[in-house]
Amino acid sequence: MSTKPFNAFAMAQAQFDKVAETLGLDQGTKDLLRHPMREYQFALPVRLDDGSTKVFRGFRVQHNDARGPAKGGIRFHPQETADTVRALSMWMTWKCAVAELPLGGGKGGVICEPHNLSMNEQERICRAYVRQIARDVGPLRDVPAPDVMTSGQHMLWMLDEYEQMRGGHYPGAITGKPVGMGGSLGRTQATGYGVVFTVREALKELGIRPQDTVAAVQGFGNVAQHAIELYHQIGGTVTAVACWDQEDQQPYTYRKQDGVDLVELRKITDRFGGINKQKATELGYERLPGEAWIEQEVDMLFPCALENSITADNVTKIAKRVRLIAEGANGPTTPDADHVLQERDIFVIPDFLANAGGVTCSYLEQVQSNMNYYWENDEVLGKLDVMMTSAFIGVSDMARKRKLYMRDAAYTIAIARVAQACKDRGWV
Amino acid sequence: MTEQDKRVTDTIRSLQERAKELNCLYRIEEITNTEELALEDVFRNVIEAIPAGWQYPEVCVARIRYNSTEFVLDGFRDTEWIQKANMHALGELVGSIEVAYLNQMPKADDGPFLKEERKLLQTIAERIGSCITHRRLHDAMKELRNTAPQRGMREWSAILDLLRRTDQSLLMRVSRKMINHLCWSGVKDARELLQDFRPLPDADERDVFFDSNRPRGRALPPSATELADRVFELAAAHLSDDEVISCVHNWIKQDRASFLVNALENHHTAISEVSDAIQRYQHAGHGEVELSPSTRKGMLVSLVRRFLSDQLEYVNVAKNYVEIRDFHQLIQKLIYPARGHGKTGGKGAGLFLAYQIMRKHCHDNPLLAEIKTPKTWYLTSDGMHDFVYCNHLEDVFSQKYKEIDEVRQEYPDIVQVFKNSQFSAAIVKGLSLALDDLGDKPLIVRSSSLLEDRFGAAFSGKYKSLFLANRGTKQERLDALMDAIAEVYASTFAPDPIQYRSERNLLDFQEGMGVLIQEVVGTKIGDYFLPAFAGVAFSHNEFRWSPRIKREDGLLRLVPGLGTRAVDRLGDDFPILVSPGQPGLRANTTPEEVARYAPRFMDVINLETNKFETVDVADFLRSVGDIVPAVEQLVSILREGQLRQAMAGSIDFERDDLIVTFEGLLTRTPFVKQIHTILTLLEAEIQHPADIEFASDGKDLYLLQCRAQAPTKHAKPAPIPRDIPHARLIFSANRYVSNGTVPNITHIVYVDPEQYGRLGSRDELLAVGRAVGKLNKLLPKRQFILMGPGRWGSRGDIKLGVPVTYSDINNTALLIEIARKTGDYTPDVSFGTHFFQDLIEAEIRYLPLYPDEDEVTFNETFFTHSPNLLAELAPEFEFLSETIRVIDVPRAAEDQVLYVLMNADLDEAVAVLIDPTEQADHGDDSERTITTTDGQNWRWRARMAESIAARLDPTRFGVKALYIFGSTKNATAGAASDIDLLVHFIGNEKQRRDLEQWFEGWSLSLSEINYLRTGYRTDSLLDVHIVTDDDIAKQTSYAAKIGAVTDAARELLLGNGGVATK
Repeated sequence: MSTKPFNAFAMAQAQFDKVAETLGLDQGTKDLLRHPMREYQFALPVRLDDGSTKVFRGFRVQHNDARGPAKGGIRFHPQETADTVRALSMWMTWKCAVAELPLGGGKGGVICEPHNLSMNEQERICRAYVRQIARDVGPLRDVPAPDVMTSGQHMLWMLDEYEQMRGGHYPGAITGKPVGMGGSLGRTQATGYGVVFTVREALKELGIRPQDTVAAVQGFGNVAQHAIELYHQIGGTVTAVACWDQEDQQPYTYRKQDGVDLVELRKITDRFGGINKQKATELGYERLPGEAWIEQEVDMLFPCALENSITADNVTKIAKRVRLIAEGANGPTTPDADHVLQERDIFVIPDFLANAGGVTCSYLEQVQSNMNYYWENDEVLGKLDVMMTSAFIGVSDMARKRKLYMRDAAYTIAIARVAQACKDRGWV
Repeated sequence: MTEQDKRVTDTIRSLQERAKELNCLYRIEEITNTEELALEDVFRNVIEAIPAGWQYPEVCVARIRYNSTEFVLDGFRDTEWIQKANMHALGELVGSIEVAYLNQMPKADDGPFLKEERKLLQTIAERIGSCITHRRLHDAMKELRNTAPQRGMREWSAILDLLRRTDQSLLMRVSRKMINHLCWSGVKDARELLQDFRPLPDADERDVFFDSNRPRGRALPPSATELADRVFELAAAHLSDDEVISCVHNWIKQDRASFLVNALENHHTAISEVSDAIQRYQHAGHGEVELSPSTRKGMLVSLVRRFLSDQLEYVNVAKNYVEIRDFHQLIQKLIYPARGHGKTGGKGAGLFLAYQIMRKHCHDNPLLAEIKTPKTWYLTSDGMHDFVYCNHLEDVFSQKYKEIDEVRQEYPDIVQVFKNSQFSAAIVKGLSLALDDLGDKPLIVRSSSLLEDRFGAAFSGKYKSLFLANRGTKQERLDALMDAIAEVYASTFAPDPIQYRSERNLLDFQEGMGVLIQEVVGTKIGDYFLPAFAGVAFSHNEFRWSPRIKREDGLLRLVPGLGTRAVDRLGDDFPILVSPGQPGLRANTTPEEVARYAPRFMDVINLETNKFETVDVADFLRSVGDIVPAVEQLVSILREGQLRQAMAGSIDFERDDLIVTFEGLLTRTPFVKQIHTILTLLEAEIQHPADIEFASDGKDLYLLQCRAQAPTKHAKPAPIPRDIPHARLIFSANRYVSNGTVPNITHIVYVDPEQYGRLGSRDELLAVGRAVGKLNKLLPKRQFILMGPGRWGSRGDIKLGVPVTYSDINNTALLIEIARKTGDYTPDVSFGTHFFQDLIEAEIRYLPLYPDEDEVTFNETFFTHSPNLLAELAPEFEFLSETIRVIDVPRAAEDQVLYVLMNADLDEAVAVLIDPTEQADHGDDSERTITTTDGQNWRWRARMAESIAARLDPTRFGVKALYIFGSTKNATAGAASDIDLLVHFIGNEKQRRDLEQWFEGWSLSLSEINYLRTGYRTDSLLDVHIVTDDDIAKQTSYAAKIGAVTDAARELLLGNGGVATK
């Protein structure tokens, strides 16, 4: 066991250092990218409902904006730290870069516990936050979005305060807005579809026709459902879906060997992606243990639910037939398990590429907001397809050329792109 | 027309007539009470009002003769169909009143007149008589006032003069009061006068006290006039004129209420007589101001005790809030047996009082003025005895002394017998009137037990409350109502309340079950009838989710539809929680949380099937959402992960994802303020935290029930012992403590905050979460506690707390968050926010610890130096042994177990080691009895397991060994626990099938026996797990229990000589 306490920023830096080494980055570039370019910390005096005043602490970190305006969420968290925000802003830089978006990375937060605050008080925090940071953010500098314990509502309050201060409309100053209030269509589908756009490209490279493939999916929430939807459209078959059962407080895998019917399953699914087990049985689905999805005789696995669901314990249960894993969830594979996948030569589409559909859609929202002209759903999804495809090809080319594991290739290309932008600008 | 139809028509007609007569009487009252009207005008108005009260108003005329004057209605003539009543004033005949029909009408009781009309006429005559008396006295007084001072005459002597001529007995009573008054005022002559009129052989007053056994001689009463003359002569000498006049004035007035006082003071008067007296009192137009405060108070106390409750605390409060006219209203809605003496019962009394309190305060607080109570009829508590005796069911009263399994077995039959019995005529008549008044709205029949007001909410839910759709013909509705009441009565003899009473030594308390018949608040929506929302609220919040919420801020549990789902803990569905004192601070804040913990089902009355049903809220809204009143106040729209308050008319019921949040109700209406006001007011007035039930039809808020908030079984304040030896105190707490006792803890899972903070990687932090999840499944359910740093269930920044989901902790008895100081900074705890509502509904307790504060104990050595079982229990997590410590309490502390005692009143909690044999010292009486009952449960199970083993033929079934584990082995089994058996199986497929079948038989019989013993229905009582050699070798799942480090399965002795191999 290590003696140093876990620190997210130290971990992000270590990850960067490893890739920087392989890229042979010069010291100046390394020094620049190891740390955020700009950090803001400020006090937010806020009047509470009972008339008293409480001073909250706010942060905004812009890690790097060489490729474009910084982009990243604002979190409300009771024990937010500067280091957490730094680490998250650095990851945002890589994430935007791997998806080839003309954006940099940023993150922000307020130390507060929303469970101890009324909505009125939260609104006052949002507005106070904007009053402090307005001159350093905006459509051309840094674009916040919802994050942990903040929602579209918080974004609208922030946007409103920003526009009040600026005396004009700047819908592109913030993303994650509801449709009709500067939001983009296609956001619900974006992440799930994004997963399958990359899968489709990967299958092309592997020389497999989608209609000849069978997949098992972990999760049946928004991402999983839309991934299955598009995967069905390109001809694939899903034989098993795992989801959480709220009543039994454990997951189950539902299996139908000739393929699940998405339409009928959605009818018996609650809004949290829980499938009704009685009705599923009536419809002829086998109910298997929650872990069973991973052992299925399929060509592909789509872990679209939880962190750490492929572990050293269960990675050995993955069938020989499995050729591809697309990580729809964040961090579904533990490092030990990842080594095994690498050894077995399973093609892994790493999380921050596979689920980049979300951030890409945020970028498209920003573009539309800046034009104050909004596209139809199909147009958004069409652009998403083009961008995801291009992002995938970038990573897979890198993997092939430099004989890298996909995950390493994704990091490498992301960091290389950012480093290049800094150089081009003459910063380093 | 059938005989029955005719009967019904007749009944209805006669009821209509009664209504007319009553209206007429009210009109007369109004006229005679209008003091500004001259007597002539009174007469004129009366004769105009009369015809409406008679059966054939169009041909009805009236005449009043007064002295020599005649007052007639146009067209009056003497016919052969005429009724007459004489009017008296001050004892003399002053005139008459006549009612005539102009044409011949069908024959009735008395010519064309009904017998009720004769009585009505008599009443009117009396009323006019007393009106004349009143006017005459009034005039006489006025005259005296004008003339007496000039002539130097005493005004009161004129009154006496009047009395002398008119009412000698009143004169007598007034004179006696004056003597007493003079005596009390210390007038010596008055005492002599008193003695003159009460000559005793030995005129020593002490005799009265010291020799009361000897009968006293009694003088002949002096004549009233003689007495009066002497008394008032004395009075004139000692008292001022003003004093005399005011005394006489008051006494005369009070005397007019004496009949009511007499009726109330006599304990043998039946309700009907008291009721008559109250009616007479009200009708006679006595304003209560006329009574002296003490008489009035005395009367009110008698009324309260008579009709509501004789519990002193209740009487003390109630007497300040009720008026005689309130009882006049109450008795209009009272159903009681002939010669009955019963009361309304606990619920009835509670609601009545709460309503009166609110009414008295509604002037200072307009929010209260808008709160209503539903129309309610009360069937008095002796109605049940009447029912039982009426049907010769007396034997049922000894039911409670039978063995509990006998009680349980016979109960269904009792219900049937009750449902097939008759109610007495008086009750049927009362219920029929009630139905006419309540109309065809659905009804709820609530039990209102006399035990309830005695022992608070502890009895809530023990007796039945039934919903009635109340549809169909009058007869059908009446039958359904009687059926429901019979069922409520039968529930007195149900096994659960009997067992509960027996555990609390209340068996000998006489059953008395009042019944409330209440209209259900709500509206008809499609086939359903339901309130827009309903719920319960408490003055004290025992489950605070934020440190900003104080206990006094209260708690509100709110649901759509009938309130049944707010009252009970549901486990799989959630009410909306609000703290009325801090309505902005919600238990759930993010849209995901709000959606996750929103109510998904609601209870309704199906008017088509006449049934109480539970329906899916989403389905309901999709089909009829557009006609739900004020629906935009009940739901929010979830779109793209964002919750938006609904606006009227903007909801697409087909497609919108609607979540019940009550956001509009809570933020845009005065509802929360209203509830907060009621709770604060009631708490202040009853001097005890209050507990109310309410419902709304979407328009008005109705109060349905009110009682003193009593702690639930699991949340009583635990007494905190003061003399705990240092070695036995494991920790203590003094902030944010709730109420409750967490007993019999055998295991502690301690996640060391310091070590956790030092973990170097995210994977290690996540591993801690997984390890806890695994321990949660391995350790005995509800017998271990989880202690860990900061915020359990942290997501994102998992350094702050162990990343677990609810399923990883759902078997713990108590969740503890430890906030250790780092430097000057004490981190926040989460109050379990990540799964707060799950914890509440599953009754998992929560406690924050601040070990570094002054005046608390935290025995760190116990946690860090006790043997750690982690590596043995979950070898794959051995690398976390520094961080996670699993302590087997009895092993670490010489067979003692841990008790966590929490007391919110003191804001203190302690965890103490207790020898299980002396545990009784730390619970109150009731807890002790519960423990012993539970003890019986596991002992019986253990015995059964042993006899199963003894009968099991190992060779026939291929069984190598049989083990017992879980609650039966650990002596913690309750009435609903199953018996966990582990079979080490070495046979073939057929043997396995046979074995399973053999166990199945046992399981079914045992579950039947268990049902009879405890009332818990389980499909099967045995939970059999079969493991093979292979499983044991691999230590998979249950096989790990064999020879486990802690909580290992115990081997049972097999039958047929098959001695188990060790």
